[in-house]
Amino acid sequence: MGRPIIAAAVLAAVALTAAACAGDEGEEQAGGDGAPVETTAAPVDTVEAVGGGGLLGAVQSRGVLNCGVSGVAVAFSETRPDGSQKGFDADYCRVVAAAVLGNAGAVNFVPLTAAERFVAVQTGEVDLLMRNSTHTQSRDTDVGMDFGPVTYYDGQQLMARTADGYSAASTVADLDGAVVCANAGTTTEKNIADAAADAGVTITLNTFQDLDIVTQNFIDGACDVLTTDGSGLVGRRNTMQPDDQEWVIFPAAPISKEPLGPMYIQNDSAFADAVNWAVYATITADEKGITQANVDAMAANPPDAETARLLGGEGELQSAMGLDPDAFFQAIKQVGNYNDIWERHLVPVGLVRAGSANASWLDGGLIYAPPAR
Amino acid sequence: MADPHFGLERHDPEGFSLTAAVDSAPPDEPSLPVGEWLRKNLFSSPFNTVLTLVFTVVALAGLRGLLNFAFSEERNWDAVRVNLRLLFTQAYPEDQYIRVWVSVGIVVALSGLSLGLWARLSGVPVARVAMWSMTAGGLIALGVVLREPSAVSGPDGDPMRDAAGEVIRQSFGAAMGDRIWWWLAAAVLFGVGAGLWRGFEDERRRHTYVPTIPLVFGSLGVVVATLWLYRWGHYAFTGNEFVYEPDRTAALSTKLPWTVMWLLLMASWAAGRQGRGTPAEGRLKVLVNLAWLLSPFILFWVVLRDPAIDWAHVWSTDLPMAAGFVIGGGAVLYGLTRPGIGEVGRVIAVGLLAFAGFNWVAAFAGWYPMLQKARFGFLLLALAALLAPNFTGERAQRLRLVWGWAGAMTVVQYLVTMANTESTLNTPTSEFLGGFSVTLFVAVFTLIFSFPLGVLLALGRTSKLPIFRVLSTAYIEAMRGIPLITVLFFFANMLNLFLPQNMELGSVAAVTVGFSLFAAAYLAENVRGGLQAVGRSQYEASDAVGLTTVQRTMFIVLPQGLRVSIPPLVGQVISTFKETSLLAVIGIFDFLFLANRAIPSQSEFLGVKREGLLFVSIVYWIFAFSMSKYSQRLERRLGVGER
Repeated sequence: MGRPIIAAAVLAAVALTAAACAGDEGEEQAGGDGAPVETTAAPVDTVEAVGGGGLLGAVQSRGVLNCGVSGVAVAFSETRPDGSQKGFDADYCRVVAAAVLGNAGAVNFVPLTAAERFVAVQTGEVDLLMRNSTHTQSRDTDVGMDFGPVTYYDGQQLMARTADGYSAASTVADLDGAVVCANAGTTTEKNIADAAADAGVTITLNTFQDLDIVTQNFIDGACDVLTTDGSGLVGRRNTMQPDDQEWVIFPAAPISKEPLGPMYIQNDSAFADAVNWAVYATITADEKGITQANVDAMAANPPDAETARLLGGEGELQSAMGLDPDAFFQAIKQVGNYNDIWERHLVPVGLVRAGSANASWLDGGLIYAPPAR
Repeated sequence: MADPHFGLERHDPEGFSLTAAVDSAPPDEPSLPVGEWLRKNLFSSPFNTVLTLVFTVVALAGLRGLLNFAFSEERNWDAVRVNLRLLFTQAYPEDQYIRVWVSVGIVVALSGLSLGLWARLSGVPVARVAMWSMTAGGLIALGVVLREPSAVSGPDGDPMRDAAGEVIRQSFGAAMGDRIWWWLAAAVLFGVGAGLWRGFEDERRRHTYVPTIPLVFGSLGVVVATLWLYRWGHYAFTGNEFVYEPDRTAALSTKLPWTVMWLLLMASWAAGRQGRGTPAEGRLKVLVNLAWLLSPFILFWVVLRDPAIDWAHVWSTDLPMAAGFVIGGGAVLYGLTRPGIGEVGRVIAVGLLAFAGFNWVAAFAGWYPMLQKARFGFLLLALAALLAPNFTGERAQRLRLVWGWAGAMTVVQYLVTMANTESTLNTPTSEFLGGFSVTLFVAVFTLIFSFPLGVLLALGRTSKLPIFRVLSTAYIEAMRGIPLITVLFFFANMLNLFLPQNMELGSVAAVTVGFSLFAAAYLAENVRGGLQAVGRSQYEASDAVGLTTVQRTMFIVLPQGLRVSIPPLVGQVISTFKETSLLAVIGIFDFLFLANRAIPSQSEFLGVKREGLLFVSIVYWIFAFSMSKYSQRLERRLGVGER
């Protein structure tokens, strides 16, 4: 009696193990294109199909945009207490989704580490990368990426205490003998070393595992100067500066250029155009004063021909791109223009747009969109 | 205590004597007077006196540091409270939360049933309960005194500072006065303990038992009751404010669900207890075991994922195939168990195995298409056919294998179909698991996969067949020579390059495979130790009664070997559970990653990291400590180290 039952139990256990193996393969398909793994009819090279130029169509037939984000970048893509993504980058994923799919909510956010991000684009795991990635020559050429318009001009700056004699007018030349702290394994480290050598000053460079530890050391006084991208410094000064210290950020012109923007697989023009013009639409809307609040009125009563075209009226150009005529209207209606997005996410952490490189070109900044005609 | 005869005393329905209960070891000589005991144990020589004093100071300083850290006004515990949901289930949709509670409920009910069916009614001596209570009260009082006085908060709520920037603190007396509730708690705990101690004279104190089950259920009840009294995690973000939202759905407010869980635990325990001693007990135990085995698959794939069943596909493909395998496979197995089939049966079984194996080769080479499910089906059929010789005999015996096959195949086909079906969950990220749920997923499935594989590897390494021995040894030594983190990176990034075409694993699944393969190598070594402890005479005796090699292994060697291996195996389970935190390094949003990276990068909690890390450590500790305690119980029960 006992023996066959045990044997049957062993059989069941083996069967379940096998079932588990079989199940895993399917599980991850769930979020993807939905083709069940088991319908192994003929081998299909999906990567090539994507690289071949059909990404826009693929996204539209799937109905969801897979967007790679950081998930741990303050004000750019934060993971909220309910697990959702919030921030400047996350909203640009939504802008693209609203333009391509008509629904800003149709985004599947894929948090990626710095190491995985490019592979994820190349293997088609994500359609689009909005992950604080600097546009560089090597990434554009070697790595096989294409870059969209810059959405945020960042740059490496320094932060120190006024009590140590630093002011907003300080420069790298004032750093002689200072202990400068940065997080390890990034270009931040190399940039400050180069800048110090150029200015002819000697600094002690200490690196730590991540920026939280760097900041803690700065607060405790183990570091005189903290250096990272300007956006990060402002956020940290706003929330972490103790009552008894006063922190100042300098030099006004950053020591490195970090233009951040969308990235996607190279050589897919239709998709690249859709992403680029969705971004440009938010910038044009900002220039013309079309905001999330007044876009309905603007669409009903366009003040000029370009606004009309942009919002899907007479002579619109969106249909020819494979988008709905009201694609950009939806993007601005559901997410907002450049300034709306900025105010929603970057103002709360203390990043000021006026006077920075991210001001509109009309106000002397660099944010500029080609004409929609 | 009016009636000292509470609880059960030396009595159990099964006639089990509580004096020999598992917890029978008396606490260290409670009969000595306190002064005597101190002198004997702590101050017996000048050297020991110095040691005692030095380490007392060290321990107190450590405790003070921990308390000052945890209760400091600099700590922002809201970072953990607001993010409790994120930490445990990440982005699981709010309107589907009932699925999480159903899953927890199923696990709780199974635990209750198992306790009722298996656990002996044991008790803890009154002396020990009194000691615990007094120690807890004493520790709280100690903590209240040790912790530095709180800062005086200014009009804006921030701590006030003096001219030098130092935080101004209350006077010691005022601080003690403010901590009146802690004092009360300490006094009540100490008082109850002392009362119990006094209420029993020496002999009875050690031989009167407080039954364990009511003690455990009661303690859990107290914890659940605090949910009604204190807002542990009822906060939610609305704009920039933390708002208490009393009208949230019952699914998200935790007090009601946990109360239901608590009642469910007791009810299922009572049900299990009822089933004990009845004729159905044996069958009930088999059922509960099967339910445990199936529960991770059902819970993760069906209950939590909520697959959207494609009925057209089910009718056209899944159902016919399942029926074909159940009926066709059953017929084959029935034929193979015919008495007197002899060597022909073995040849057919080996032929089936070769065919199943060839299907996999073809899958990797891409020669011909076949549903993955069919490949697994053939493989399972071949394995079942290998078991057939054990079921030859009369009709009832043969049908047992056929029914077993039909049941197993139905379950397998069902689960694979479910796992291959798209999820209907609407989550903002690609994974519906995150935080503690992904930690549990990886730990549980690693355990399930690595155990059979590890046992097979151990058997292979102790086998007489050189090919098995060499292959197993090579695998084990190769895996043990590679750092775990390397294995994880490899599987997270490269596994898909080695899989057959159109077969893809997501990063969590891929890492689970890596974990399992790694854990299996270590598990195999632990099991091998147990196998080698089985005496020569056992082998000779089983040969003498004419058992086959398979029978000897299954029924003589493995049961004894595994029993001996329990302590290292549990150690391995605990370390695997903790090693899942390495997922954080490869960027998967597990429990540790959320506390270490995601929460400190929320704009409200920028850089708030220490609170989350302390919380994560405590949760890991609770789980690891419970497992360790359970294994000690198991060891005592099975008498490992005594026989």
